[in-house]
Amino acid sequence: MNRNQHPASFRDPSGFLFTDEGALYRQVNQQYADEYQRLMESGLYENLSKIGRLVTHQEVDIEPIQPEKAFKIIQPELIPFISYPYEWSFSQLKEAALATLAIQKRALNAEMSLKDASAYNIQFHQGKAILIDTLSFEFYKEGTPWVAYKQFCQHFLAPLALMAKTDIRLSQLLRVYIDGIPLDLASELLPKSTKLNAGLMMHIHMHAKAQVKYADEDVEEKKQNKAISKQSLLGLLENLKNTVKKLDWTPAGTEWGNYYEITNYSDSAFLHKKELISAWVAETKPKEVWDLGANNGVFSRLASEQGVFTVSFDIDPAAVEQNYRQMKSAKETNLLPLVLDLTNPSPALGWHNRERESFTERAPADMVFALALVHHLAISNNLPFQQLADFFSDVGDWLIIEFVPKSDSQVKKLLLSREDIFDEYTLEDFERVFKTRFKIQKKVKINEAERHLFLMEKL
Amino acid sequence: MHFSPSLYLDPGSGSILIQMLVAAALGAGLLIRSQWAKIMQLLGRATPEEDKDSSLDDDFLDE
Repeated sequence: MNRNQHPASFRDPSGFLFTDEGALYRQVNQQYADEYQRLMESGLYENLSKIGRLVTHQEVDIEPIQPEKAFKIIQPELIPFISYPYEWSFSQLKEAALATLAIQKRALNAEMSLKDASAYNIQFHQGKAILIDTLSFEFYKEGTPWVAYKQFCQHFLAPLALMAKTDIRLSQLLRVYIDGIPLDLASELLPKSTKLNAGLMMHIHMHAKAQVKYADEDVEEKKQNKAISKQSLLGLLENLKNTVKKLDWTPAGTEWGNYYEITNYSDSAFLHKKELISAWVAETKPKEVWDLGANNGVFSRLASEQGVFTVSFDIDPAAVEQNYRQMKSAKETNLLPLVLDLTNPSPALGWHNRERESFTERAPADMVFALALVHHLAISNNLPFQQLADFFSDVGDWLIIEFVPKSDSQVKKLLLSREDIFDEYTLEDFERVFKTRFKIQKKVKINEAERHLFLMEKL
Repeated sequence: MHFSPSLYLDPGSGSILIQMLVAAALGAGLLIRSQWAKIMQLLGRATPEEDKDSSLDDDFLDE
C-alpha cells in the first residue's frame, strides 16, 4: 500500500492531507472533533459549499494514517489543477481575497472564525475561488480578535495594493515570501499617496509600524481590558472588503476591449487553424489540456468549450487578466488562466522544497498546445529544438504545435534587432528533432499562411 | 500569547493591537451607517437599500 502524508500539510494540528493509492484524503484529528461537528451541523458547511466557496467532501471509512489521533477521514472533491498566488492575475488574487472575507463573515454568523487566511488555501475550481482547507474554522469567542488578520494583509491586501499602486510585476514577491509580503516592505514600496487611502493607511502602513513598535509586547493584558466586539469585527471585515474592492488594475494606456489583437493571421488562416485544433481535440479526447503561451485564451477555449478542463498559461499578466475577465463574464467553468514564464517556470518552494510544487511536478497534461510559441522560445530565448522537444515531451502526452518559419513577419520582427545565428531553424530540422521524442500524427499547412500545424504523440 | 489552545498561527502582537484599534472605530462606523440608513428609510428619504448584511455576500464577487 502506498500512503503518504502530503508534504505541505504539516502546520495545522487539526489534521492533514494524505494520499492513498493516488486518491486524496484528509485525516481530521480528535482534537478538532468539536470544531468539525460545528462546521457540519451549524449549516456553515452546507451554506458555503452551496455557493461554491468551500470544497465539498465525503466522510469515508478507510484506515487512518495516524489512528491514535484520528477522529474521521474525509475525501475532498478533487481540484484538477493546483495553482499558486504568484501564478494568478490581479483579479484572480482579488477574487480570492474577497472570497476569504465572505467566508469569514459567514463563519462569524455560525459562531466560527477562520483561523488562517492563507492564499494557498484558496484554489480556482469551476471558475470560482474556493476554500480547500476544510479544517480552517475554529470556534468564535465573543471579544477575541481575528487571528488571521495579519495573514490576510500579507497574503492578499499587500500584494494587491503593490500590483495596483506600484507595479503589477510585484506579484512575484509572493514567490519569495511564502507567508505573504512583509508589511514593512509593502509599506516602503507603496507610493506615499497610498497613505491618503484610509484602508491602506490602516491595514498596511500603520499595521507595519505597529508590528515594529509592539513586536515584543505581551498583548494578553491589553486584550483583557479591551475586547473586540463582533460588531467591530464586522466593521473590520467590511472595511477590508471595501479597501480590496477599490483596488483595480488596467494596463497603462490600453482599453481591455482592444488590448489583444490576434497576430498577422488572415481571417481564413485563423479559421483554418481553429478548425484543425478543434477537430484534433475532438479526436484525441484529452482529459486535460495545457495551453502554453495562450495569450488571452482564444485557442484554449476550443478545448474548454468541448468540456475539456484547460489551463491557459501566458507570461503577460495583462493577457491573463483579460482571459480571466472573459472567463468570469461568460461564466466558463472549464478554464483556468494563469501567469507563467515558460523560460523560468514556477519552482518547487517552501520547506524541503516540497510545499509548493514546481510547474513540471504538476505535469504531465494529456495534451499540450504550443501555438505561435516555438519561435519565441527558439529565437528570443536561444533554445535549441532538442531542448524544446525534451521539455514538451516531459509536460504532455499529446502535443499540438505550430511551426512558424523565418519568412513569417512575426519571426522577422524577432530577428530585426539581433544577428541571425539560427541556421538550424527550419521546418526540416524541427521535424527531425521532434521525431526523437514524438510520433508525428498529423501535419497540415495552414491556409494562406506559411505556418504548419502538427499533432504529435509522445513516443 | 495564549488565545486558544488550538492556535497555531502567530497573530503577531502589533497586528492584534492595531486590529483592536481600527476595529473599534470601523465597528462604530458600521453601526452608525446602518442606523442612519434605517432612520432615513423610516423618514422615507431613501429607497430601501440592499440589506447591509448581504454586502459581503457572494453576489459582489461575480460582478
